Amino acid sequence: MNLNEFLPTIEPENLYAPVMAEITEIKRLTSMEVFYRIELPDGAELGHQPGQFVEVSIFGVGEAPFSISSSPTHKGSFELGVRKAGMLTDVMTRLQPGTKLGIRGPFGTGVDVEKFKGKDVLIVAGGIGLVPMRSMINYVLDRREDFGRLIICYGSRSEQDLLFTDEIAKWEADPKVEFHVTVDQGGEGWKGNVGVITTLVPGLDLDLTNTACCVCGPPIMYRFVLMALKSKGLSDESIYMSLERRMKCGVGKCGHCQINSSYVCQDGPVYHYPDLKNLQEAL
Amino acid sequence: MVQFYLDAERLPAFVAHLMAQKTVIAPHAKGQKSFTFETVAEPDQVVLDYPRVMQSIRKFFLPPKEELLTFDLTENSYETTEVEPIDAIFLGVHSYDVAAVGRLDYNFSVGSPEKNYLTRRQGAVFVGVSFVPDSYHFSGSVNIRPEDPTGCDIFLTKLFEGYVLEVHTPTGEELIKGFDMPAHDAGRPATGHFQQHIYVPQTRLSEIMEQSYDNDVWAETAEQCVGCGTCNLVCPTCYCFNVDEAVDVTVTKGHRERHWDGCMLRKFSEVAGGEVFRESLAGRQRHRIFRKFKYISDTTGQPWCVGCGRCTAACPAHISIVGIVNRLISDHAQAVVAPI
Repeated sequence: MNLNEFLPTIEPENLYAPVMAEITEIKRLTSMEVFYRIELPDGAELGHQPGQFVEVSIFGVGEAPFSISSSPTHKGSFELGVRKAGMLTDVMTRLQPGTKLGIRGPFGTGVDVEKFKGKDVLIVAGGIGLVPMRSMINYVLDRREDFGRLIICYGSRSEQDLLFTDEIAKWEADPKVEFHVTVDQGGEGWKGNVGVITTLVPGLDLDLTNTACCVCGPPIMYRFVLMALKSKGLSDESIYMSLERRMKCGVGKCGHCQINSSYVCQDGPVYHYPDLKNLQEAL
Repeated sequence: MVQFYLDAERLPAFVAHLMAQKTVIAPHAKGQKSFTFETVAEPDQVVLDYPRVMQSIRKFFLPPKEELLTFDLTENSYETTEVEPIDAIFLGVHSYDVAAVGRLDYNFSVGSPEKNYLTRRQGAVFVGVSFVPDSYHFSGSVNIRPEDPTGCDIFLTKLFEGYVLEVHTPTGEELIKGFDMPAHDAGRPATGHFQQHIYVPQTRLSEIMEQSYDNDVWAETAEQCVGCGTCNLVCPTCYCFNVDEAVDVTVTKGHRERHWDGCMLRKFSEVAGGEVFRESLAGRQRHRIFRKFKYISDTTGQPWCVGCGRCTAACPAHISIVGIVNRLISDHAQAVVAPI
């Protein structure tokens, strides 16, 4: 038998062709992070889950993965929160509203919101980890009756590095949100918690039988947050983690994002913690 | 199975017969000791007795560099680059390289099928040829014999000064129509013995890898390894790639291109901001070996290494893939026995 008989008979789509989408709003979040609202052509919806990502490209500069920051309940556009960390993001910070970007996606496995329904939702976000977690937070807020308590722990380097400060003010004021924030270095005028994010966990009052937790932050954070959550008594099954890797193609082909046998762009970026235990390279 | 005998003297005539039907791509001598697959221009330049070609025929279906789209910077617009089927006869391919194409077919079909690869693959015809294992081949250890015709339309097995020609598919039947050869009914020989072996059946390799995650061999291999990525570059089943932008001198136009990448290179797992997720050479060696003998194999039941020996032959530090695997097997055997 010729090898060709095993090839798929369908006509494959071009996986690498971006959709040209327009930036409709740009807002500076901090000295390093910028917010973008983006609209797809013809009012198309992105159709994502909280925790998924898109590939953003600028011709002549490059393409990179970015977490989607808006909730899918928010229609008509989607949002990104981008840190200036490389060539593409550097060019992105200099764009004006009206500019068109190449968008591919959404890609990956996001938060399985069904697994969170009826439960208290605990969000642990470190630094720029708030960007993807904001999608889940706003999803819960827009479907408030589907979930129990909403507890947010957010850690940042300093007061100046806090993201989405106007939304934080709303969460702090909302009686249905338990918002805890800490900064690594408290400056003058900072009256809140000082210390790394794990210092927020011991003080939490959790219903251990009915809480689902989602964690996202810098690579160093996961192991320590995990220890804190486990010593608090949370079961492995109640923990989900969103991991960062180099998702270059987004479609399980290029190999860059692999953690052992798992493609983060397919199985992740949001993993159920028990599934991560077999992936030694994960945390 | 229809068998004929093709005398070596008539090989150029056979090549010419194939060329009259389709483009023929076959091994040619390059330099003093190397061989490479190229489009045939002169039938008598084809070499069928060769140990291995530098690059497998992967390079035709997944080119080292390829344009994905062209863009116009003044318009901020683009056009995808359409690719054409290779639609050629691949003459003189060794069984392990045919097997490797099958592995790539899987990778580019599973999940999201990829248009560029699968389009190029269309129309390929395979005329395999047996080989005599040299000191690097070990494909027998992954169930690929030197005279294994799997996947081929026609297979040639060396016998005396010529080849036993077997036709395996209707496509193969069409190809030889009108080319006169004597029938052959004496079977075909085994063409040689392997000098390199993995010492357990391939079905046990995944289980051995499972127990070998923290084996010392990774750190020891890393002591020799220079992290050059040559093993990735020459592997017929490596398919990882990166994508870059290329802007022309007018700075008004350019293209997005992909090129081969390798998991042995440090930057492979680097993200914006500088974090490298597979920083140690030991971890990268383990990832390479596990990719070949465990990760994909756990899903497909087949090793993703086809035993061509290229990575070992090309390694500037003389790191042997068979050596690593056999070391894991031997340590595993001792670990199993030790508690008694």
